[in-house]
Amino acid sequence: MSRYLLLFLLNAPFVIVAITSSLIGYKLGKVSRRKFVLQVILWLIVLAGLAGAYSIYQFLFSQRLTESEPLSLFDVVQVTFIVYLLFKSSRHSFHQEALERRLKDLHQALSISTSEKK
Amino acid sequence: MSKPSKKKVALVIPAYNEGAVIKNVIRGLRKAFSASAYDCEIIVVDDGSRDDTARQAKAAGAKVISHILNTGSGGATATGLSYASQNDFDIATTSDADGQHAPEDVLKGVNVLAKGNIDLLIGSRLIDKAGMSKVKVLGNRGLSFITYLLFGINVTDSQSGLRVFSKRALSELKWKTSGYEFCSEMLWRAKQIGLTIHEYPIKAIYTDYSKAKGQNNWNAFHIVSILMKRRITELFSE
Repeated sequence: MSRYLLLFLLNAPFVIVAITSSLIGYKLGKVSRRKFVLQVILWLIVLAGLAGAYSIYQFLFSQRLTESEPLSLFDVVQVTFIVYLLFKSSRHSFHQEALERRLKDLHQALSISTSEKK
Repeated sequence: MSKPSKKKVALVIPAYNEGAVIKNVIRGLRKAFSASAYDCEIIVVDDGSRDDTARQAKAAGAKVISHILNTGSGGATATGLSYASQNDFDIATTSDADGQHAPEDVLKGVNVLAKGNIDLLIGSRLIDKAGMSKVKVLGNRGLSFITYLLFGINVTDSQSGLRVFSKRALSELKWKTSGYEFCSEMLWRAKQIGLTIHEYPIKAIYTDYSKAKGQNNWNAFHIVSILMKRRITELFSE
């Protein structure tokens, strides 16, 4: 199997899951339209980069803009890991923000309700 | 014919370790509003102080809401305004607990907001800079300029703690940051939800106490870094 195809197959699921969860968040009203569009654009750029990795490499090589070796298995693992980190950090940042918001609201409500009982 | 009912005004004072001066601040506000046409309640949000701020505020007759944890000025302000919104106040003000604002300026702000079609009124110390050191003027002007660059809001004093809120602002205005950076973020959120923002001149009273307690200009860098982070992450986060 071509290493470029392997790179695409390994990373495409992250992109699909990220776009799907953004779409679900948007449809459930948790994400604004602007943020949803920006996220989809970001992940489509990643997907385009993965799908066109071979053509991009060929173009850069023919224009003498790179002299690096063609994709190695190590490169595949490395790129997959970077995409995975991007995927995880995007999800964590969403969860962290939601938790911060809930904690803040809880603290606020608790302080007001405690002061009313005194 | 029945007399129109008085407008309910919440005077919110976020306070952290202000036990030495909070009594005087409350007394000053009470005196200024005593002859006014408003039904006022003074609400002190004690932001987890380690001194006797809550006790002193209660002794001076204020309603005290005590934070269990210290959250920062933005968190304490949010709690005070949330209380005002829940208790159906028509207007709310926020002012500093260190006595930096003249009670007459707070009353003036309430009068201006009550008359005009304004949702958020900011007391600007920089329209008339009397009493402010050059360093403070520079720091505040710098932060106002950065607020303009990041959020497109043109005000002279984006960091002023004296603010007056309409009923609509009380129910709709929410922000995410908890520290001093909330001053700029609040303006951004107000712009996002289409609130009308105006400024009016106030005087700043700097005593030795408030100078010792106040923010130094280095904090401005911290505020700017948080605001930039917030502006960038909001492009991508949910």
